[in-house]
Amino acid sequence: MKKTHIPKLDEFLGGGIPAGSSILFCAVPGVECEAFGYQILNGVIEDGYNGFIFTNVTEPHNIIYEFNRYGWDLNKYLKEGKAFFVDGSSNFIGIPPMGKYSIDELSQIEEVVLKAIDDVSDGVGVINNISTLIDYLEDDKIIEIINKWNECARVNNTILVYIFTKWDYKPELVDAVKSTVDSVVSLTSIEERVIIGQGFMVTSASWLHPKNSMVLYFVLQPGGVKIYIPKILVTGPYNAGKSSFVELISEESVSVDRMALEKFPTTIAMDIGHVDHNGFVADIFGTPGQERFDLMLDVLAKEAVGAFILVDSSAPQTFGRAKEMINKTQSEAIPKIIVANKQDLPGAMSPEKIREAMKLDKDIPIIPTIVSENNGVEMALDTLLKILYGD
Amino acid sequence: MVIKMIPCIESGIPGFEELTRSNGGTGGIPENTATLVYGPAKTGKSIFGNQFTYQGLLSGEPCLYITTDKGLKQFETSMNEFQWPIERYLEDNSLYVIDTISDVSKGKLPKSKTVVQSYINNPTDIMVKVGSGVHYIYRNNPRFRSVIDSATTLLAYNDNMLIIRVLKAYLMRVNEAGGTPIILYTENSADRIVETMLKSLVDNIIRLDGKELVVEAMKGIGKRSSPYLITDKGIEL
Amino acid sequence: MIQTIESGIPGFDQLTVSELAEGGIPEKSTTLIYGPPKTGKSIFCNQFAYQGLLKQEPCLYVSTDQGLKQVQSNMMGFNWLIQSYIQNQTLYIIDGISQLSGAKLEDTNNIKSSSVGNPADMMVKVGIGTRSVYKKSNHFISILDSLNTLFAFNQEQMVIRILKAYLRRIREAGGTGLIAYTEGVTNSDTENELKSLFDNTIRLDGEYIRVESNFEDYEEVKSYESTYIITDEGVVVNGK
Repeated sequence: MKKTHIPKLDEFLGGGIPAGSSILFCAVPGVECEAFGYQILNGVIEDGYNGFIFTNVTEPHNIIYEFNRYGWDLNKYLKEGKAFFVDGSSNFIGIPPMGKYSIDELSQIEEVVLKAIDDVSDGVGVINNISTLIDYLEDDKIIEIINKWNECARVNNTILVYIFTKWDYKPELVDAVKSTVDSVVSLTSIEERVIIGQGFMVTSASWLHPKNSMVLYFVLQPGGVKIYIPKILVTGPYNAGKSSFVELISEESVSVDRMALEKFPTTIAMDIGHVDHNGFVADIFGTPGQERFDLMLDVLAKEAVGAFILVDSSAPQTFGRAKEMINKTQSEAIPKIIVANKQDLPGAMSPEKIREAMKLDKDIPIIPTIVSENNGVEMALDTLLKILYGD
Repeated sequence: MVIKMIPCIESGIPGFEELTRSNGGTGGIPENTATLVYGPAKTGKSIFGNQFTYQGLLSGEPCLYITTDKGLKQFETSMNEFQWPIERYLEDNSLYVIDTISDVSKGKLPKSKTVVQSYINNPTDIMVKVGSGVHYIYRNNPRFRSVIDSATTLLAYNDNMLIIRVLKAYLMRVNEAGGTPIILYTENSADRIVETMLKSLVDNIIRLDGKELVVEAMKGIGKRSSPYLITDKGIEL
Repeated sequence: MIQTIESGIPGFDQLTVSELAEGGIPEKSTTLIYGPPKTGKSIFCNQFAYQGLLKQEPCLYVSTDQGLKQVQSNMMGFNWLIQSYIQNQTLYIIDGISQLSGAKLEDTNNIKSSSVGNPADMMVKVGIGTRSVYKKSNHFISILDSLNTLFAFNQEQMVIRILKAYLRRIREAGGTGLIAYTEGVTNSDTENELKSLFDNTIRLDGEYIRVESNFEDYEEVKSYESTYIITDEGVVVNGK
């Protein structure tokens, strides 16, 4: 087993990647992917093994520069012979290649990488990336080559890490690529008009049933891939039922007085909870509804990946305020749902009427609830999670 | 109205400055821009390149000259024919020649810091030599010129898209270092796509058709043209 | 009524008036500006971007043909001074080509360096860029100048995919996209496929400007044509 040195990933994979296995990081365009390959290489070398990087997207010296930005010293490993490059990029643009092996012609790629895999027995090879090869070699040829590489890796106990960007390819091709490897990690984006978060999830592994949890991550320079537990806001006008809602969805929740939080200088009450629902983990922040706390809402919205906006369905005079709060979270482009609470009260408006009254975009879901009776709460939670993480 | 002053360098071609003059400007080749000089075979493109080079040398501007059709000896001879002696500039290192065509086994290239051998079918090696050349020249001179004579031969010997990328890198490097490059090319010697790519790489396009010099595009001015002659002194408008 | 953005090109807005739109570039649409080499496409793009910047409208500028320094210098030639917009982060630049000159561009909050040969990385930078620009305003402009160098460094099909992903991102974020391309740098099939991805096309051939719009509520393709010139102040469209 080789540790990936990527937080949570080793846990999901049952300890790491078995020697001789292959793993594919499959990212939608726009989501950071290369860092995973580099971080694994760095970690495995630090653990005492050798590694190589095959690159056809950028020259080796740029990769060395990237490593530096992450805070890792690739140059040292190169000098000590622990790492080397298979340079498939430099000749393509007419600059002198760098590294133990270089590729002049496409037909050489298969052979040269096989040599490299052989060279780093019991180590790791990073292939960055497969997408660039697809157009130069025919689809079948690619599959054939990857299979050969994997076979060679098995024999040599080398781990192969493939970087793959899932452009608009035919689904059959994507499936074919995925089925050539022992394990697939899907990298996806959380979007609300723009990418606001990135997540990874192990979607297959031949040596165990992977945990199907999506983990949100950043790529920090320095630092590399770091995971984070997302914040979800619960907000809305005064007296819409926020505290009760937070309490209900959380494993354990606590109402904190500001003294416990250094961030906010004024005395306020805030509800903090922690959700662990179907493998999805988040910290819940219930904000006070009064206007004077809106500054805090701005700050929290910057770090939140989603929001529940509670309204008292029987108090249309508060809708204007609710709309204001929607706009505050809107500007940070985070997914949100409206929780139309207090459906049991006389005069409670239905979700459609509320949508009309607030002139809401039809994309924003409105879920009716009676929080005091725990009615509709789980549906609200599931709805937001579905928007965040897809199916 | 704003009068746009574009710094230019002297072309060395009599009449060219007049042709390319605009309000308030001096005319000439806009400094630090890339120019393509193209046209049918034998219309004086090489002469244009040589004249441009010599003008620079006279003004104290070194030149990075990449030759793919003529070896150094032939180049020297043709310069001498127009009375543009380059020997002293080779000696004082202000003319830096990358010779990609002379047969190393036969001819003896003079041992010099600034006369360098490369190989027409090895664009990577050419780029390395270009990098060293630019670096050498740039250290002592903020202003310099560069000529590739010609892109045609490069394209004939190598994968076309590779040459486009290499030319792009060449232009980026020369531009970054403050130089003013000219690329020569024989019209229709490569396919339409490559030729269009070539034209889109540069800032200025000049066409020589044997009778007329047409400035098809130039930074700061519109299309201009003038008849020209090739005399024993070079090109004259 | 279709909302439009002032193009900043004198004569253009007057040319493109219709019963559905005021004239200018339709907001939230995507436009391809194409034509033979050296006909003013880059100038048009820069002119349009600058018009927005003047109104403090953020701009996501993806430069693949020229490095940032060159772009800045080109714009300075027309008195379009962008330094202050770089400083106040209204202008967000992704420089995909300076790496080729060996110069190391220092990345800042709103200047990112990438490589035309690494489209996955370019899309990451585009993702970060659209978020940054969207936070400032959901009326933003995005420029891509130009597809040429992408075609030189990637297979044609890959460039089409990159373009589709890029247009999707811009559309999702509600931006208005203007992308430049030199006619003839790819084969005609790819070129046709390219054109079909856009709501509007503008063709500059050196003498004539021809605009075609197939955007949203238009039942049929609207087209406008006129002559144009390039002056010290940029592209100027003449009256019909």
